[in-house]
Amino acid sequence: MKPKKYDYYLIILTTLILLAIGIVCVYGITYYNYLAVTPGWTGTIGYLRFIDDMNSYLYPFLVLLLISLGLCIPKRLFEQEILVKISLLALGVTVILTFLLGMETAMGFILAVIAGIQVIVLILTLNKNRKIRFEKEGYFVRLGSSMLHLGIVILIFNFVTLRESQFHILIFWTGTLFVTAGNIFSFYPDRINLLFKKNTK
Amino acid sequence: MGFVEYVAAREFASGIGQPVITYIFILALLMGFLSLLSLRNAKENYFNYWIKLLYIQTGLYIFGFIIIVWFHVQIYNTVLIQYPADMQLPVESSRFVIPLWIESEKLYFWAMIASVFALTLKRCKELRAFLGVILSVFSSIVYLFSNPFREPLPIVHGEITRWYAALAGDGNIYQIAGTLYGRITYYYNSTYMWTHPPMLFIAYASLIITFAACVFMLLRHVRQYDEIAYRYAKPGYILLTAGMLIGYPWAIEAWKDSAWWWDPKISGSIMMWVLYSAYLHARIYVDRGKLWRTTALLGVLCFVTLVFTYLLTYIVPGIHSVVQS
Repeated sequence: MKPKKYDYYLIILTTLILLAIGIVCVYGITYYNYLAVTPGWTGTIGYLRFIDDMNSYLYPFLVLLLISLGLCIPKRLFEQEILVKISLLALGVTVILTFLLGMETAMGFILAVIAGIQVIVLILTLNKNRKIRFEKEGYFVRLGSSMLHLGIVILIFNFVTLRESQFHILIFWTGTLFVTAGNIFSFYPDRINLLFKKNTK
Repeated sequence: MGFVEYVAAREFASGIGQPVITYIFILALLMGFLSLLSLRNAKENYFNYWIKLLYIQTGLYIFGFIIIVWFHVQIYNTVLIQYPADMQLPVESSRFVIPLWIESEKLYFWAMIASVFALTLKRCKELRAFLGVILSVFSSIVYLFSNPFREPLPIVHGEITRWYAALAGDGNIYQIAGTLYGRITYYYNSTYMWTHPPMLFIAYASLIITFAACVFMLLRHVRQYDEIAYRYAKPGYILLTAGMLIGYPWAIEAWKDSAWWWDPKISGSIMMWVLYSAYLHARIYVDRGKLWRTTALLGVLCFVTLVFTYLLTYIVPGIHSVVQS
């Protein structure tokens, strides 16, 4: 498949996964509303069961999102064929880990892998490495896109596996900073470029 | 300074603000009518009058907002909560630093910013006229259902009144002081309250224009509408993302072990965010095949979820809600 067409289908897939997450949220709202008929239900075991249920519905889509969104980053590093194999391998290991060690451990695995790759992509982008391929041209768009993807992975990783960690909030702010800066860089590359040029003059 | 001065300030704010918002409402009706005429006949005159009225209405909104600011400053100056010493709270006293976007003021703030954004939109008369209809409906809703001057800050007023009543011996002062300490520290005076909601309301205001442009993209299929939708989706999405994320450490700090995971408002916000993400993703290939239609439809759907998420506070129980289970 041609890279452009491949990217196009990947974007469509990502859009569909995001829509599916939206549907999970609608279900969550309805389910919560149904359970809330019982006064004080959030103080019972039923609430914990509800949280577990909702997490278990969300996680598969998160894994898919990470594979499409997160592993769409290695498309900037590897050839398409290798990429598909890596994606399938990551998905396979995640599924096996889900059955052996539980969903959170499996999520932790895939998130750690993808976070690592995102860091490499960010470093390569910062160094203006020509090996990585992007949908859009321009240094700041690329930098923004890399930061945004890394930020999202950091945030999900933090929510899923580091909730009890003493660094939870610190990591959260790091992720937030990456996401916000990534958004600004991606959306306004020309203005950022102008700003940097002004400051270096 | 005390309760009497506070009540006088409240009455003054209401007395000045009520005519202001009434004029805003009258202008909104006129503007809605002119917008409809402009959409129907595309006559230059109707549109020009509408623009002039929009400037006046935005000015009135800003003037009303200045009254709100003044009233909040007066609350800070006049009301001092001195906690009983034997409660051993971390502070001896507190003053209210009430944010400018709570209770009935939040919809007013949102409508004011939406009016300002509407002024920044240049060209595209048809789209601006359609936006005029939306703003007209919005301003009417503010006047009829969320008028900040009819009874300014009713919940805050109730809390202040109960405090002074307890000081006079009517009510349990320890219980009221304990409740007020929590409300002031984690809600009213919280830094997050000064960042999380305004970022979201500014984002919502920007996304109204995205919605209007997406509707016109569907109706006319002109590339310019998609570009306008995208132009306003960018600041909207940045603020929406950052604003939502800022709510997270606040929730940990203020709600601690309370049941807030998968709260309906949070689920709704996530849904809204993923849909806007989907919209921006799909938009990358807006020129490919019929994807422009999907993108525009997504833009409309996103706004529907935005309104739905806002209303969740009032229709579904949860930690964010005013509805009890």
